[in-house]
Formats: sequence, structure tokens, C-alpha cells
Amino acid sequence: MPTMNASSLLREHDLNMTRRQLFGRSALGVGTAAMAQMLGQDSLLAGGARPEVGMHHEAKAKRVIYLFMSGGPSHHDLWDFKPKMQAMFGQDMPEHIRDGQRITGMTSGQKTLPVCPSKYAFSKVDNHQDGVWVSELLPYTAKVVKELCVVRSTFTEAINHDPAITYIQTGSQIPGRPSLGAWLSYGLGSTNENLPGYVVMHAQSSFAEQSLFGRLWGSGFLPSDHQGVLMRSQGDAVLYLNNPAGVTRRDRRAQLDALMALNQAQHERFADPEILSRIKQHEMAYRMQMSVPELMDLSQESEQTFELYGEEARKPGTFAACCLNARRLAERGVRNIQIFHRGWDAHNNLPKEHESQCRDIDQGSAALIMDLKQRGLLKDTLVVWGGEFGRTAYCQGNLTHKNYGRDHHPRCFTVWMAGGGVKPGITYGHTDDYGYNIADADGNPLFPQPTKEHWVPGTMHIHDLNATILHLLGIDHRKLTYRYQGRDFRLTDVHGHVMHDLLV
Amino acid sequence: MTKRAVFWLSISLATFTVSPGHALEKVDFSREVLPVLSNKCFACHGPDAKKKELRLDTREAATSDRGGYRGIDPENLDESEVLLRIHDADDPMPPVDAEKQLTPEERQLLDTWVRQGGEYAAHWAFVPPKKAETHSTVDGFVRHRLQAHGADFAPEADRPTLARRLALTLTGLPPEPQVLAAFLAEEDSEDAYAALVETLLASPRFGEHQARYWLDAVRYGDTHGLHLDNRRGIYPYRDWVVRAFNENLPFDQFVTWQVAGDLLPDPTLAQLVATGYVRMNPTTSEGGVLPEEFQAKNNFDRTETLGTVFLGMTMSCARCHTHKYDPIKQSEYYELLAFFNSTAENPLDGNKYDYGPVINAPADQAAWGEWQTLESEARELVKESGRDWRAALMALAAEGEPAAEALKARLEGLEAQATTTLVARELDKARETKLLARGEYQSPTGEVLEPAVPSVMGAWTEAMPRDRLGLARWLTSRENPLVARVLINRVWQRVFGEGLVRTPEDFGVQGEHPTHPDLLDWLAVEWQDRGWDLKHMIRLMVHSRAFKQDSARRADLSDPPNRLLGRGPSYRLDAEVLRDVALWASHLLDPHMGGEGVKPYQPAGMWLAMAHPASNTKKYERDPVELLYRRSLYVYWKRTSPHPMMTLFDAPSRESSCVRRSRSSTSLQSLALLNETQRVETARKLAERLVKGRDTASQRLEMLFRLLACRPPSPPESAACLSLLETMLERYEQDAAAAEGLLDTGEAPRDASLAAAEVAAWTQVAITVLASDLTLLMY
Repeated sequence: MPTMNASSLLREHDLNMTRRQLFGRSALGVGTAAMAQMLGQDSLLAGGARPEVGMHHEAKAKRVIYLFMSGGPSHHDLWDFKPKMQAMFGQDMPEHIRDGQRITGMTSGQKTLPVCPSKYAFSKVDNHQDGVWVSELLPYTAKVVKELCVVRSTFTEAINHDPAITYIQTGSQIPGRPSLGAWLSYGLGSTNENLPGYVVMHAQSSFAEQSLFGRLWGSGFLPSDHQGVLMRSQGDAVLYLNNPAGVTRRDRRAQLDALMALNQAQHERFADPEILSRIKQHEMAYRMQMSVPELMDLSQESEQTFELYGEEARKPGTFAACCLNARRLAERGVRNIQIFHRGWDAHNNLPKEHESQCRDIDQGSAALIMDLKQRGLLKDTLVVWGGEFGRTAYCQGNLTHKNYGRDHHPRCFTVWMAGGGVKPGITYGHTDDYGYNIADADGNPLFPQPTKEHWVPGTMHIHDLNATILHLLGIDHRKLTYRYQGRDFRLTDVHGHVMHDLLV
Repeated sequence: MTKRAVFWLSISLATFTVSPGHALEKVDFSREVLPVLSNKCFACHGPDAKKKELRLDTREAATSDRGGYRGIDPENLDESEVLLRIHDADDPMPPVDAEKQLTPEERQLLDTWVRQGGEYAAHWAFVPPKKAETHSTVDGFVRHRLQAHGADFAPEADRPTLARRLALTLTGLPPEPQVLAAFLAEEDSEDAYAALVETLLASPRFGEHQARYWLDAVRYGDTHGLHLDNRRGIYPYRDWVVRAFNENLPFDQFVTWQVAGDLLPDPTLAQLVATGYVRMNPTTSEGGVLPEEFQAKNNFDRTETLGTVFLGMTMSCARCHTHKYDPIKQSEYYELLAFFNSTAENPLDGNKYDYGPVINAPADQAAWGEWQTLESEARELVKESGRDWRAALMALAAEGEPAAEALKARLEGLEAQATTTLVARELDKARETKLLARGEYQSPTGEVLEPAVPSVMGAWTEAMPRDRLGLARWLTSRENPLVARVLINRVWQRVFGEGLVRTPEDFGVQGEHPTHPDLLDWLAVEWQDRGWDLKHMIRLMVHSRAFKQDSARRADLSDPPNRLLGRGPSYRLDAEVLRDVALWASHLLDPHMGGEGVKPYQPAGMWLAMAHPASNTKKYERDPVELLYRRSLYVYWKRTSPHPMMTLFDAPSRESSCVRRSRSSTSLQSLALLNETQRVETARKLAERLVKGRDTASQRLEMLFRLLACRPPSPPESAACLSLLETMLERYEQDAAAAEGLLDTGEAPRDASLAAAEVAAWTQVAITVLASDLTLLMY
């Protein structure tokens, strides 16, 4: 604080905390905004003590890093080994396997739906159960499978990108709802006063097909300060972070002192507590102008770090650099971090595209796990890897042994989680011999396939995934609600089952 | 959270719950009991209850004999099942594992209610409004409630503050200096105020500012919104909305044209353009999507937006099942949806700018003026023909009629410069509408449904056609209990900062009760009595003492949320206003009205980092200098990535309806206010204006404060600004390069005749005052 006057003003501000202010963003810490709304409607929690961390129960994870693979990575070529498909190469998919599943307009017109086995070699890697099959496309990730909980039976209903990615990120296929990250921001608040509480990064890709949308990290009907803050590799790392030409940090200090005096005068006249809250934000912005460049400055990182993440991590904007930034953010108390990597929508040239995509992400994601582990952060950091759906067992377009494509597939896909209270080194869920349906342990497809309405053991709907993420962060997905248009909305709509089978 | 904060929370909670002493008074079912029943009981015992469950949403159901017991037993109230179970420790209601439990106060309230007879009453918003006879002015109602709390209005705000408040409220800009000077010079303050109101209501800026709120509600955007998020040509709709506000089109017509302008007899150009409302939903043409899926989704969106915009409830719950809280059946949702299931457009947009049906429309406001003159002349000329005016004109021109030939030539000239805009058109034969089980488009079930409206929201008159025109007639009929209330509440919200119903998106059972129910009803009826004259209603509001009072917190009245309206409006101004005020103060604001959305400065790469490679909005190309200074209403609205200076200050994405923006305060806003290119550019042009306009520092400072706050600076404000000025002057005199760097920001040409150090120093003062709360806030 620049003057005594201002700091006494701010003390008064804290004393005068009003309920109304609590609705807005506040630096008070964990989940203040969410608490306030709930308290405003319901005094149930008023007298009750709240765990220091965790809104509804003890949190296993203090923070989450979500590696989002936009476009739909192929479970067939990465995680879900289906050796029996080799013998079926090029044959039409059996009708009973397709089981009336609607397919997109991109392949519904094809004369046949030829079975398309993966061209990649898989090897079985030891984990804490009886091992997990990993594709040769993910050599680095294969080294950390003892930390991963690999769920092969994730499913959704959406079969096109925009609805599917909106669904997994907001709980609804139609735009308008808050994103997972915004719900977390609303529930968790921030523990760092010098950095944003919810940071989003866009990693570069050679095949940046498929759009991203502001709504994927937007706040929907939640107060808009819960929207994700983009940390960019081009221009200002945070929008408008840097002073304009001809303005130094000292100049800014002088400006802020004048600004403070003007706002104080305004406050003396109107006694509006919002004015004091804004004074705090101006000061935080000033500190952020130091803390963000410090965050982005990798010069103090050791050679070992770059060995771990790869030389790519030196190039701003690469996935590896984003992973390294994620670790640095986590170290600095940022609790809610998402990296979006595009280019997984391999309709026609899957081998070429996925090889490049995997090169982008493999070493970085594995390094992130190892790095968090060696720094003692993995135990309370939840890392999630996955996309919005999987890809088909049948080929889209021309099928050869060298090249093929796959359409969108909602019925099963692979997501992995690590750290933060998740059982390490396990796999969960099964798919049938075609990687088309969720199956029992013997590979027999479950008919009818599970739905979001009723959880079936061995399966994970995207609402279940989101419920589990919230659970690990100490939030009951049924209780983190926001009243809008007469309804207490939540991320998981009226669904969601916490995947206790996956938890430590 | 600190202990202190918890303490304050508990204190504030105490004032929101029912105190025991109050419980013996007759409870108000609609205001007190229904919200509790709805929130805590209706999930199982409401309109969507399972067949065998006890229902508590109507008295008839609650008192019915259930084999020896009744939910409410009128003969023996003490034995009512509701009473027994809410107190039953062994088998309580709600059950122990229910997500929502009753608070002790709520339990007491239900107890009192049942013991007092368990009477029901309709939810207030479903009963058509009537004018109470107690008062006939805004102030009468407001003062009545203040007096009940032992208080009265605050004193009137000082006149400069009042002028600023009024101008910002009506036009979104401060008053022009000469208008302000005239107002302050006038001795009769009442007359001067009335004159100022009229000047501002007549300003073209009025329509631009008022239109903005409507565009949020109808989710206006310049792109399709989904997947590629390609360009969409619909800005003539936006320009029509501005015209409608400026021309004070009666609001029932404003509604009717939008919902059903195409179904009016021989519709005018404006009536057709207005149907862009029906086409405003986000759309897609993603490869492989199934048309029937998006036919359903587009319909959901339009039905629910109609609900939010006009009925004050989304009804989205009823998409999947009968509403848990409000008495809306699932079948009624689909009957309402059926009104929209007959429009002619393809459910997929083809990623096209002119996603048909489209019509030719004027490309800016000047063209609108010419077009409308021409249309009325042509209609006059061919009025005997009984045909479509355009066809009749062409026929007449072909016969060689000189007036017709001249008009035809003018028309062709205008059409050559026209753009296209999306409009609604009916199919010859409507699609079949069925209830979709669980809201899934693949699961149509039951009978074919005819278009109809939810029965609880007012009767349908059989004379009304079963199409969108009938729907519009129903919306604007005197019997509709919701529409006038919902719309006038939002007018109140933009004048006073908060609505009389503080959940403007929800007038249902779960929404907040009005702070001044009789006033809301009086306004709703008065509006209809006055032929839906919006300017009349705004006059009533801004002439009220409630509006004119000082907005400072009061020592004698503890009411932080200002529910009693014992102080004037106060809130942070919207994103657009903040930008416009800066442009205006610097004399950069371009008054040009209408046209394609403009693209001012935006940090590089923001769109590219997110966009599909095939999207035609993947590259943000900043517009040439002459388009950089338009009002923010005209800033290009890409729905998947709107301009960051808008979203950082709480503007919605316009992918879905927004009738109330949040008002956040963040550190990113601070960075934007002080660093963004256009902010710096406006500050340096404002600095030039000050340096050129006045000779001394104190005169310049006075000019700056007059522009932004309508008053001179106070001594502490002066001291702070002059001290900053001195520091900066010294600095820039020593570092010419820094001054040059600052003054090179933005495209607006510099006045090279002025001393760089001086302008740079004033730039710093100006940007600081522009970022201070005396500029950011309404007060």
C-alpha cells in the first residue's frame, strides 16, 4: 500500500464487508463467492465451520491441471488395444456391434463401414495392476503409467465437435452455461493475490482444426470475473499487461497514487464499498505486472527441467512450454489451469496427424507428471488428459494399411487422470473387441449401452468425470449450485456420479 | 474466509429470515410460503410429482384424502400430514438424505401457515396486474415503503450530478458542455430539468443506448455462433432496433413486428427486418451434423429465449419434464415451441452470410431514412391497386407513369447499395411438432401438438391465429400477466440500476418477489393505458424524486442493496459506455449511425488462436482509421470471441439471452483501463483538447472534470491531479523519446503544434481520471 491512509481505508473496507460484495470476486480466499450465494439463500451453513480447504468435504486435490485434447483423440491408436481387429481389416462392421448408434453425416453416406485396426504397435507396460497397453505413439507417457488412472470407458452423447466440447466443458450441449473452470473458480476462489485464479493456455499444433470458443472457459451466467484468463504466448502474456510506450513502472505508480486519491475522494462522498474493492484491484493489477513476467521467465529453470520437458519447452506457445508454465502456476498457488491443444480431429489422414499431435504432447504431459511428482506437488494436484469424444472403429474414407481416417465416436473413449487423490497405476473400464461399445470384463458389449441417467459400474459418463473432478477438489457437484432463472443450476445438470472406484 | 466475514454473513442472514415474533401474523402464501414449498418440496411434491405422490402445488391436491390422511386437513389442521412430517424426528420431511433441508425458520413458517388454514393463492406474477388505488405516481409508492421503515427520500442530488446521471441513463454519454451549461444557468430548475429530459430523449444517441440492452436480451451477434462461427448478415435488424427506440415505436408493435412482422398484412420493410429476432439463434453447419438434431436445438433456443425476453422465465426445465416449480407442463413447452417449428430456413446455416430467407435492407441509418421515405411515397402512389406495393410500383412504371418511373429508379438505386438481412418466413405447411421425451430429438412421442401457450400465463382468445402473429397478439394482450411487467421491470432496471424484481430473468415461483409490487403493477398497467409509449414511461421514472435523490449511502438508513430505494442509482457503467465516454471526451466519437460491425484495435492473434482454419472470421483485421471511433454498439460481435474490452467489463457473449449483466471488479479491468491502445489514444486526444482549449493547468483540469463529472474538481482531487501533472511534466521534459512513444499510440493524428511533453503529461492525467470511479460509476 502506498500510503497509510489507503491501508486504513482498506481495513475499514474489510470491516464493512457486506453480503452484496461477497457476490462479487473477493480476495478473501476459498470459494467466497459460492459461499455467499448459498448463504444468501439458505442459512444451513451459516453456523457451521467450513474445512479450510474443500467446500463440502476434505479436498484430496488443491488444484487441477486439465490437458484438453480438442478434436477427439483416437482411443484406438493411443490407449485401447484391439488385436482382434487385425483379422477383420477392411470387413464391414457387424450390424450388432453398431447397435443402431447414430453416426455423423460424414460417414453415414459411406457404402461400407470397414473395420480399421490401428497400424501402431502397442506394448504392455507395468502399472500397479496387471499392466496397461500403450501405443508406440506415446513413448514418454508410457513411462509414467504407474501414476496414471486410465479410464477406457468414458462416454458422451454428442457426436459433433461444437456440441460435444461444449457438453464436456459446460455440462450442456447448448451454449450459455458456465464452464467447468468457471464453476471451479466460483467454488475455489484464488489463493494467490498476484495472479489470476483460473488460467487458460492455447498450445500450438500443426493441425489446428476445430475451433475453440470463449464459452469453454466462459462464466455463462456466473459473475463474469469467473471467466478464465488467457495466458498467451503472443503479445502481452495477459491481455493489456504491459504499460504503453513511454510509461514506466514508476510512472504507473504515480498514476495509481493519483487514482487512489481520486477514488478516496469519491468514496468519502458516496461511501460506496465497491470503490474500495476497486482500489484493491488496481493494486493487484500493479503487482500482477511484476508477477506475470516473473512467472513467464524461464531463465531460472534448470537444464534438467529442459531435459525433462524437451527443448520444445523453450519455445513459447508449445504444448511443452504450456506444461512447464502449468507447473510454475501450480507452484505459485494458481488452482485452476487448463491447456487446450487442437488438431485431434483425424477424419482422413490419421497417421500423419496423430503422429504429429502425439509428438506435440507426449513428452510435455509425461514431464509434467514427473516434475510435479519430484516436487511433491502431484499428491495434491489433479491432472486430467482427454478430449470431447473418441474415434470410430471403422474407417472414414479410403482404408489402406498405411493410411486411414476415423469419424467421431461418442460411445467410448479414453481419459486419464493422475495425482490429487486418484488411484495411481490402474486402468478402468472395458470396451468390446472393436473398441466400439463399453463392455464387461470379458469384452462382451453391454446392451443396452449405459446412459447418463443410471451409472453402471465400469463406466464414466462425462458428467461422472466432472463430478469426480469437483469431488477431488472438495466440492459436492450436487451442492455447487447457482440460482439462475429460477433453477439451481449445477455443472452436472441432474446427473453425475462420483467415481469412487478411482479414488484413493 | 476470515472469522470476521463469517460473523458479518451471519448478521446479514438474520435480516433475511423470518423472525419468530413475525410468525404469528397472517403469513402471505405467495410471497413467503410458496418460495419455500417450491424450493424445498416441489422436486418431489410439485407439478411433476410421481403419480402416487402427495402433491402440494395446489390446495385441491394438498387437501385430498389419501386414505385416512391429508397433506393439509382443513377439518383438523393439527393432524395435517405436512405438519406432522416436518416435525417428525423419525421420519422427517424432507427426508434426511434430501439435498435441500428446511431451515428452522422455514419449518416454523410452514407450521404457522398450515395452522392458519393452509390457504393457497396464485403466484403473483400469474395474476394480471391492476393499478392499486393507493398511489398514482412513482414517488407515492416508493415513499410509502420508505415511510414504513421510518425514512424518507434522500435530498436531491446536486444539479451537475443530476445532469450527468440523466444524460448517461438516457443516452449513455455525458451531457454536451453547452447543454450542461444551459441547464446549470437556468434558474427554474424544474423547467430546466424537463427541457434536458426532452433534449436527451430526442437525441439519436438515445436509441443507440437503449437498443444495446435489447440486443443483449435477444442475443444479437454478427456471427452464427457455433463451430466455424462465420459471418452473419443481420445488422439491419440492429439498426432497426435503434430506429424503433428513437421513433418511440409503441412497444406492443415493437414486440409484434419482431415475433411476427412477416405475418402482418402487406408488411413494410421495417416489419420484415424486425423478424430478424426469430432468426437470432446461434446456428451451425458443422460437417456431419444431423439437420433434425439442429431443428430441435434451434427450436429449444427460440422457445427459451422467448421465455426469458418476454415471459421472465426460460421454461428450459420443461424441455425434459414437467416443470418442478412453475406450473408448466412438458406438453405446454412443446406447444409453445410449435409456433417456431414452421419457419422456412434450413436448420443448418451453410456457413453463409446470407443464410436464407434474407431480404435486401438498408446498409446504414442514412439509407434507412431514404428507403422509408421512398416506401411511403410509393405506397401512397399505388394505394388503390390493392397489391403488394413494390409489384404495383413496377407495373405502373412499366406503363410509363412518370412518378412511378422516378420512384422505380430511386428504388433501384437504393437496392444496388443494399445489404441482406436474415428474416423469418413461414413454410406453406408447418412441420409436425411432438413432445420430445427427455428433450431428445430422436424421441418424439404422443400426439401431434398444435401451437398453444402455457395456460397459467393468460388465456388464448380463439380469434387469434395459431401462428406467430397470434403469439404476438397474446404476448401484448391486456390479459397477459407477465409481458408488460417483465419488460417494464427491465426499463426500470436500466434507469435505476436494479429492477423492481431483482431477478429480471425469473418471474417464476423461484424468483425474487418485487421490492415494490404495487409500483411494478402500476407501471405495467400505465404503460398499456398509454399505448405502450416507452418515452412516456421513462419520463415518469426520470422525473421521480426516487431517481433524482442523492446516491450516497445514508447514515440514517441501513439498506446496502437499496431495496427501499432510499438513495439514487449507483453502479459501474457498462463496457460500451466506458469506451464511448472516452471517445466522446476526446472528440473522437464518430456519430455515423448503423452499418456493418466495426473492428477497432484488438491484440493480435486472439481470433486465430481459436478459430477453425475454414472460418471466415479467423483473422481479425482492424478496420481503417475512419472506422475506429464508432460507438461501441457498432463494434463487431463475434459470438465465440467478442471484443476483449467488452467481455472484460461483463458484456455477455450473445450466444444466449442476457437480461442482466454482472458487474465485476477485477484487476484485469485495471490493466485494460490504463494500457489498452484506444484508452491511451483517447487520453492523448483529450489531452490535446485540454491543452488547446484552456491556458492554465487549473482551467484545463476544470475542463476535464466538467466533461467527465459535470463539475469542477474538489481541492483534494485538484491536488492529486496537479501533483501527477507536475511529476509527469518533469519526466517527459527530460525524456522526449518517452513522450513521443506515448503520443504515438493509436492511429489518430497528432497535433504537432503542441509541446509533446505537455500533451504527454496531460495524457497521463486524462487516462487516470478516465480510469477513476468518478468516470466509471453512475452516481
